[in-house]
Amino acid sequence: MEVLNGWWDDYFWGAIIVAEVFIASLFLMILFGLIGAGAKLSGNRLAQKTASAYTVIFRGTPEILVILLLYYGSAITLTAIAQIFNPEIRFVDVPPFWAGTIAISLIVGSYATETFRGAFLGVNPGSIEAARALGMSTLQTFIYIRIPEMWRIALPPFGNHMLSLTKDTALISIIGLNETLFVAKQAITVTGKPFTMYIVVGVIYLGFSTIITLSVMGIEKFGNRTTVGTR
Amino acid sequence: MSFDFNLILQSLPQMLAGLGITLQLLLVSGFLGLLLAILLLLMRISGKLYLDLIAQIYIYIFRGTPILVQIFIIYYGLPQFEAIRESMFWHILREPTGCAILALTLNTGAYVSEILRGGVLSVDKGLLEAGSALGMSARQKFIYITTPLATRLSLPAYSNDVISLLKSTALASTITITDMTGIARTIVADTYAPYEVFISLAMVYIIFTFGLQKLFGVIERYLSRHTVREE
Repeated sequence: MEVLNGWWDDYFWGAIIVAEVFIASLFLMILFGLIGAGAKLSGNRLAQKTASAYTVIFRGTPEILVILLLYYGSAITLTAIAQIFNPEIRFVDVPPFWAGTIAISLIVGSYATETFRGAFLGVNPGSIEAARALGMSTLQTFIYIRIPEMWRIALPPFGNHMLSLTKDTALISIIGLNETLFVAKQAITVTGKPFTMYIVVGVIYLGFSTIITLSVMGIEKFGNRTTVGTR
Repeated sequence: MSFDFNLILQSLPQMLAGLGITLQLLLVSGFLGLLLAILLLLMRISGKLYLDLIAQIYIYIFRGTPILVQIFIIYYGLPQFEAIRESMFWHILREPTGCAILALTLNTGAYVSEILRGGVLSVDKGLLEAGSALGMSARQKFIYITTPLATRLSLPAYSNDVISLLKSTALASTITITDMTGIARTIVADTYAPYEVFISLAMVYIIFTFGLQKLFGVIERYLSRHTVREE
């Protein structure tokens, strides 16, 4: 354990970065998921086809490939664009934080698309008819009836999506994000204790997973406080 | 910057040379992972608290940490101990392929056992009562009633897990294995053409995923041949 002295603060800042990636990618994942679900449920054929292509591509490609493509691809594109304006520029890249965050949000967003679509379809048509009968507008129905009913249906799989986001954060270390796995690599070159250093990373991620699992359980309980047990 | 189709034609055969290793990782760890999952499932439904608890802790740890961290702990971490380097397992743990298969097996086993448990729990209780009424023992009921039904019920979720396993095999490239992703990363490092190489490799994975989905669709239809179609 003494071998870990001096590395705790590095691990702490690594863990903060994991949390930052989680918050940023959570927002983006919800955004991509809602856009995807909206497109799939819309009457527009082109939007439906685009959304289907999006889910097929991002659910069928290994995560690491998406991360590498987004990071190196964006670097090449941005460098080419920058050289149009200033030929002196040698290299421009997107920070690994954002390349990685966008990559994992796109991946998990493709799963969230299906979750949100299913949840919107799972809203009881009777409730919507009742809202119409009460004279609610489409927007009011959406805000007061559809959203509160759908998020209860979507929550259990959504919890799993949040866990995937957290665990995929470790992959961003491959393109140089200084999260905990990256910290461990540096610590190993100095101390030569790979097992100890990687176990610490495992424990940190397990902590994040536990916090998310417990929060989702709590929110689920809160969300279903007014519903009658169905079984 | 332009999209170089010749490069795709050149690099695709090189990457496909890694298909064998990708398949080997998928099939060997898929098979061993399924055996581990069945063992964990039996521990969980054994009714013995200590077996159940051990299985639950195992599943909690392996589902709560990133697979990349598990791979690193096994490949880089275990050789930290003298005892491991002198044990009979060393000839497996010395090879990156052995480590990748071990990590993927341990990881997928945890996920699949939960899928199988879901299948076992959703078997109709009435059928088990009917089994008891016919004088079947607990073991007979498990073999002749629960197992065939649970297999069919858990197949859709299982097929998703096989696809995640396929995607996880790409992480083997992080421990020097020359699977398809490993070869692609080498080509990109030489040519610096991430778009051409990674996108064409992504296509290979997507076709592979699509094939797996179709295969499982066929198996599912075969297993459901006696059931009445809903709708």
